[in-house]
Amino acid sequence: MKFKKFISMILVFLMISLLIVGCSNNSNSNKTSENNKITTTTETSVKPGEATPRNETLYISGLQWGPPTTFNPLSPSQTSLPLSATSIARELTFETLFMYNQLDGKMYPLLGKSYAFSSDNTVCTVTLNPDAKWNDGQKVTAGDVVYTFELGKKYPVSWSSNWNYLDSVTAKDDTTVEFKLKSDNKNPLMVEEALESVYILPKHVWTKIEEKDNNDFSKISSEVNENPVASGPYKVFYYDNTKVVLIRDDNYWGKAPSMWGKLPAPKYIVHNIFKDNAAGDTALRQNQVDVSQQFTPNIQTFGPNIKTYLSKPPYYMPGVIPWLVINVTKPGLDNANVRRAIAMAIDYDKIAKNAMSGYSGTMSPSLMLPLDSEQKLVDQSQLAPLQWKSHDIDGANALLDSIGAKKGPDGIRVLNGQKLSFKVECPTGWSDWNAALEIVASSCKEIGINVQTYFPQQSVWNNDMQTGNFDMGMYSYQGIGISSPWARAYQGMSSNGYAPIGQTAYFNYGRYKNSEVDTLLNQIPNITDETQLKDAWTKLNEIYLKEVPMIGLMYRPADFYTVNTSVWSGFPVEGDGTNIPPNICMDGYGIAALYKIHSSK
Amino acid sequence: MKSYRKYMTSKIAWYVLTFVVALFLNFLLPRLIPGNPVSTIVSKITSGMADTNSIKRVYETFEKEFGLNKPIWEQFLIYVSNLLHGNMGTSFGQYPRKVTDILASSIMWTIGLQLPAIIVSWILGNVLGVLAAYIKKGFDKVLFPVFLFISCIPSFGFAIVLVWLFAVALKIAPASGGYAFDMIPSPTLSFFLSVLQHYQLPFWSIVLVGIGGQSLGMREMSIYELNADYVKYCRLLGLKDSKIVRYVFKNAVLPQITGLALSLGTMVGGALITEIVFSYPGLGSVLFNAIAAQDFPLISGCTLLITTGVLIANFVIDIVYGLIDPRIKVAQQE
Repeated sequence: MKFKKFISMILVFLMISLLIVGCSNNSNSNKTSENNKITTTTETSVKPGEATPRNETLYISGLQWGPPTTFNPLSPSQTSLPLSATSIARELTFETLFMYNQLDGKMYPLLGKSYAFSSDNTVCTVTLNPDAKWNDGQKVTAGDVVYTFELGKKYPVSWSSNWNYLDSVTAKDDTTVEFKLKSDNKNPLMVEEALESVYILPKHVWTKIEEKDNNDFSKISSEVNENPVASGPYKVFYYDNTKVVLIRDDNYWGKAPSMWGKLPAPKYIVHNIFKDNAAGDTALRQNQVDVSQQFTPNIQTFGPNIKTYLSKPPYYMPGVIPWLVINVTKPGLDNANVRRAIAMAIDYDKIAKNAMSGYSGTMSPSLMLPLDSEQKLVDQSQLAPLQWKSHDIDGANALLDSIGAKKGPDGIRVLNGQKLSFKVECPTGWSDWNAALEIVASSCKEIGINVQTYFPQQSVWNNDMQTGNFDMGMYSYQGIGISSPWARAYQGMSSNGYAPIGQTAYFNYGRYKNSEVDTLLNQIPNITDETQLKDAWTKLNEIYLKEVPMIGLMYRPADFYTVNTSVWSGFPVEGDGTNIPPNICMDGYGIAALYKIHSSK
Repeated sequence: MKSYRKYMTSKIAWYVLTFVVALFLNFLLPRLIPGNPVSTIVSKITSGMADTNSIKRVYETFEKEFGLNKPIWEQFLIYVSNLLHGNMGTSFGQYPRKVTDILASSIMWTIGLQLPAIIVSWILGNVLGVLAAYIKKGFDKVLFPVFLFISCIPSFGFAIVLVWLFAVALKIAPASGGYAFDMIPSPTLSFFLSVLQHYQLPFWSIVLVGIGGQSLGMREMSIYELNADYVKYCRLLGLKDSKIVRYVFKNAVLPQITGLALSLGTMVGGALITEIVFSYPGLGSVLFNAIAAQDFPLISGCTLLITTGVLIANFVIDIVYGLIDPRIKVAQQE
């Protein structure tokens, strides 16, 4: 008896210790595998375990919600702070040839000093800044630019599609690059966009990586590149599951008089990863965040230190139109009058006020954003008679009556034997979009169209939109950038994106087809004459307003640019004469803000 | 001892079978969620592209990379063979990180939080249970119901109450995270103190909720034992109270050990809600995000870890009880 008791005690002890050992083994391996690192760039940088000094650090929130995973521009999941090569590239670590400024729609020099198209738009010549250097000291040359673009030809990366517009990219000399446009798909707008969205990579580094990985793209794209050789003002200093820390490169080439003439103000840029918007907002209130890029309701109540770009509603500059994309192949929705009636019925003012917390101005239906640069492309007087008002229930009812859509016994209209009953979807948890769609549903109810909201997981929604398995769905086509509004109209309405229901479409989810639209979309990028351009844009918008393949529901900013001035001051705001756009101090020409801000004390 | 060996072999066989079934379910269940994970990942890279062919190329590259273009049984075989090499695959959502790396970087936080919390709440709960049964009076009527009440609050609700009270209202503890927002982790004292500061609320939220459940079981068992014949006999013999309580404790604590082993086994998955509420950088948060992103390999990795923990705990309990519980011994001899 005693013996068995003894054995059992030992076994219990063993069991517990086994569990503990199993655990601590894991924690040991953790030490070696955890992908963190500290580069000691200058003797004045913080030591491990210390806090990054508050008055030398710019804290940002809302740019990433998951752990940083890679610093490789060739990777598909560029979820780590310094990387974002969308239509307005982030310029912290990697740099593009030019920077786009959404305020004046112009391009500003960065690695490239100037660019010019030949008179017939067949060649674009870019001159590089001879001062530009990689952070390992080597010069940025025309060869690097050519190499980078060639990578897009070789592998499926984010800038591969540029080769649809490009015939060749060649180096004329060390600082001159020539981009030859494709003669059968001439689109100078998309080439210009490439100049401000493609990160230039160092050839001497990436050829070695390619060699090491045997040109196997899946290996190359899964390189973490945790100590990137790049040309930008910041280097990766530390990262783990909860944060990314960048440190200023004090040898940054941009301090040359030919570029900025000085270094950016913050020594560190830190992005803490928050669980959700609420956690980020709490940190903003506690002065733990200096620049916030997240939807924060009632920002005007956050106190005098919290500022937005505009001092009055809608507080943020419009930059994106979230659309209600209509599947024009569905019976009922294939009728333009039904689509128009839905557009007329929707209460846009309520969406702006309730779903968007007042951050969206009055909707003016068209393909254009309410920015001077886009509005001047259309003749407003010609569009006005076609534009619908917010919540025009009587008008919508009259229109539906006129096409013979009578109400059935359940109060739902029937058109040609087809009940007007639809589903509308967007991802669950996207609270402002969810709220907007609820308003759409209730507006439609008022005109006898039954609309059910459906909020699945993001991947389900994505799949539904791509395969055409939806009636109506919310989606944002391209916002601002040098190629918009062309790219927006193209993504929304070009039949090049058409795919039959069940097959994957990668844009034009509504499956809209119109040869007149295609012709206009082909012409617009090459029109240089202003009157002609205005004519074309007005015509395209007229077709949009008559056909209503999608309905803009609200305006959203490209970036929610909310700043906290308790530690740093001098953030650009409207009317300060700096011409720095509200791009969170780091996207496109928005990075100029880092050279302007200063300590508050 | 021969029957014991037989008992052991059949147990082991059952556990191996259970493990294989669990492995298969771990693999299959996440893949039954509707939707396409590749479209989510690829939509990020292709958002600026205006050309169908290049988008398609990217799409196909990653379908191939993740092996999703193969039939599901083949994917399962690849999964198993990788697993035998200690490779749990590449995460979709946190591409290109390895699942094993992600698990390794977060499991330390989970165990660091859970192991002490479970042990502390087990010890406190059992002591409280015996005392409640023995002392009765005010102890059993006031303190015990209070803990019972706390243990009935869902743990996320209790965690939120703690955050509100100590972080928002009293401002004596940080509301979320594993360490201060401006710290860079390293083995230094200031960092350790910061971790400790952020440790308090999640720790107490687990301990306080756990105490009630543990003490309830212990109290019931102790009351049962206190009325047992041997206690009466001891009293008749005039043994000291402290000696009787020791006997009672020893007998009553036996089932509680099962409870402890089980909570240690489920430890990895147990802190899910606590971690999410406190944004604690552990496995719970990882699993939660993985599900949202349809990150199959990562979901499978997390659940495999949880399954293995539970199975090991159960197995050890089975072995121990085969030795010490007379009822099982009788069953073996039949």
